[in-house]
Amino acid sequence: MRNLLCLPALALAASAVQAEPVAIDGGTLQLRVLLGDSTTVSIAPFRLDATPVTNADFAAFVAASPRWGRDAAPSVFRDAGYLQALATAPADYPITHVSWFAASAYCAAQGGRLPTQDEWEYVAHESTHLEPDTYAAMLFAYYADPASHARRAVGAAHVGRWGVHDMHGLVLEWVEDFQMVAKSSTGDSAIGASCGDTARYLADNDPAHYVTFLRYQSRSNYTPRTTTSTLGFRCAYDIAT
Amino acid sequence: MKRTSIAVAVLLLASAPAFADDPHAGHQDMTAAPVDHGESVYHLEGRWTDHRGADFTLASLRGGPVVIVMLYGSCTSACPILVHDAHRLESLLVGDVRKKTQFVLVSFDPVNDTPETLADYATGRGLDDPGWRFVQGDRAQIRALAMLLGVRYRDNGDGTFDHSNLITVLDADGRAVHRVEGLMRPMDAAATAVAGAAR
Repeated sequence: MRNLLCLPALALAASAVQAEPVAIDGGTLQLRVLLGDSTTVSIAPFRLDATPVTNADFAAFVAASPRWGRDAAPSVFRDAGYLQALATAPADYPITHVSWFAASAYCAAQGGRLPTQDEWEYVAHESTHLEPDTYAAMLFAYYADPASHARRAVGAAHVGRWGVHDMHGLVLEWVEDFQMVAKSSTGDSAIGASCGDTARYLADNDPAHYVTFLRYQSRSNYTPRTTTSTLGFRCAYDIAT
Repeated sequence: MKRTSIAVAVLLLASAPAFADDPHAGHQDMTAAPVDHGESVYHLEGRWTDHRGADFTLASLRGGPVVIVMLYGSCTSACPILVHDAHRLESLLVGDVRKKTQFVLVSFDPVNDTPETLADYATGRGLDDPGWRFVQGDRAQIRALAMLLGVRYRDNGDGTFDHSNLITVLDADGRAVHRVEGLMRPMDAAATAVAGAAR
């Protein structure tokens, strides 16, 4: 109910925000975290939202799909903090406090899906192209205090290749397969990689690889019901073949 | 907590007229308080197809125990053992419990595991029993179900999947009441959980 009451305000403020998807060229992702047998992954062309999904975007989704409202969504799909900031956060700020299930449902309603981890990492890498040490320094600072970053409108900075904004430094983002899946020593089952395994999974032992692993690991520590003040998402779209 | 206080408030409001000498107070419609099924896997929408070509929703499984396993048809290492484990669990169920229990084996592989492929799998292994369904869905549904059950998997892109081995027992409302992680584990506790869910 509270969410519904705040909708008109969000809708009015929403006119400035329009995150059209952009086309992402296919290519090869050089894996920096090695969880399976391969060191590269081929990425097919797809489309990706240019910015993270905003509060206004998500409020419109909830208005159209009330079952995803703050109190209506079943507990199996979200924790207690779900959408707790939606009523008060500015319309053009990234949506946060949103679970993986809710993010997936939002993207499905737009005819899309969450990007895979490999797709997200590919765009993040290809669209920033920072020197490894610059990249590492930037992300160590960000990951040490992500809560201080999620306080501006989407799209304000960090425009990269393909016109993609905000891959780093605004919010952390859900991906379809956010949990690390590593082969067990016997090769017959998948396990979650843990902290102590770090060195096993790095393609190289430099700060840039380590900070990338931190991102994989922090994602992997979420459950699909998790909601936090620093975690948002954007949607990907298949290109019809 | 919030839901509870709202429910209490509604009850208080509803009972208020009884104190006000209103002859119609007793005629007020009182709907039953909703039972909280928030933890049910059956909230997952979407249609699935089984190896007999039947189209169904997870919610349609409501009413009896369900044993749910995720695997893929061309898997030659862990999956046959996982299926065998589920079969061992079934063999521990007796009489009515066994009749009420459904075994749902969901494929990770929406491309190769068509209903026809799954039918070959089921008949080829002598698993085409009435209580067993080998099931296919679309990619997003499969991922969401795996997330609900706590199954991790990765599509290796070559027709193989790395995945955790998990057998989950759902109660009659679709809540996960027991999980068996790993292969060749004892099934006694799972059988007890199924029997409890069949009551």
